[in-house]
Amino acid sequence: MNLTGFMYFWKPATEITILWFVIYHILLFFQGTRARQVMRGIIVLLVAFFLFQKLKLTILEWLLTKLFAISVIAIMIIFHPEIRQGLARLGQRNLFGQPLREEELGQMLLQIVNATDNLCRSKEGALIVIEKDDPLNAYIETGVAIDAKVSSELIETVFTHKSILHDGGLVIQHGRIAAAGCLFPLTDSPELNRIFGTRHRAALGLSEETDAIIIVVSEERQDVSIVYRGRLYKDLSQEDIISRVKEIIRSKKEYGKKNN
Amino acid sequence: MAKKIINFGNQLRHWIMSHPWLKLIALILAILVWFYVKDEINRFNY
Repeated sequence: MNLTGFMYFWKPATEITILWFVIYHILLFFQGTRARQVMRGIIVLLVAFFLFQKLKLTILEWLLTKLFAISVIAIMIIFHPEIRQGLARLGQRNLFGQPLREEELGQMLLQIVNATDNLCRSKEGALIVIEKDDPLNAYIETGVAIDAKVSSELIETVFTHKSILHDGGLVIQHGRIAAAGCLFPLTDSPELNRIFGTRHRAALGLSEETDAIIIVVSEERQDVSIVYRGRLYKDLSQEDIISRVKEIIRSKKEYGKKNN
Repeated sequence: MAKKIINFGNQLRHWIMSHPWLKLIALILAILVWFYVKDEINRFNY
């Protein structure tokens, strides 16, 4: 390509590439959230709008233009939690945060599996959340701040029936217990089996909105599950939990979509 | 150097393999939006 051709094409190419990057990240953001279905509908309407415009179907184009004008407010209301969360992610993303070292992670997971094992035996439930890339500060604020080293004794104490904090979730942030008694959004997924209670619903709800790794101990069945990106991996052994959590922490966001 | 090249290759493969449909849809939408905005700018002679 000669210089004139390059000068003519570089601007549109750059603009389209930037638009592609932005649109891809918007779509990626909505993947795995409850707004995914609405997003699909909007894409179909957008493509239809461009088609009507090119084919000069003026009545249909006019109708869709009016529909889009009205739906801006509707979209703001429908996507309100996602927009808020997205802006919070932009502002809070821990770009310079140090990931946990391998031995620190191993030690933390060992404490967690010891706790879950003991809680299973004593027929007590638990909801333990490990922060990954998405900040969980909004959820930490709903609970009671702890800021302590991860230990099986502390986790067990939080989840004993007599503890005031046992009903909520325990959040681990940067390798430390940040808070307990935290409240999470419940999933409204119809796919979740009736045998799962509120604890599993909260775990799935949180996993649909963030990339947190959630460990759930079932009070009724005395088994341990991991919930990640809207997927539930149930009835796991201690070794399974450790290896799976390590695998998720090392992986990129799409782990949940590749497995199961 | 060799390790760097392998890592770059893996990263590129991972980037291509992850969400290919999403990338295609995003590219189509980006092209459509670009032409739409160009038409609008030409129409109103900004």
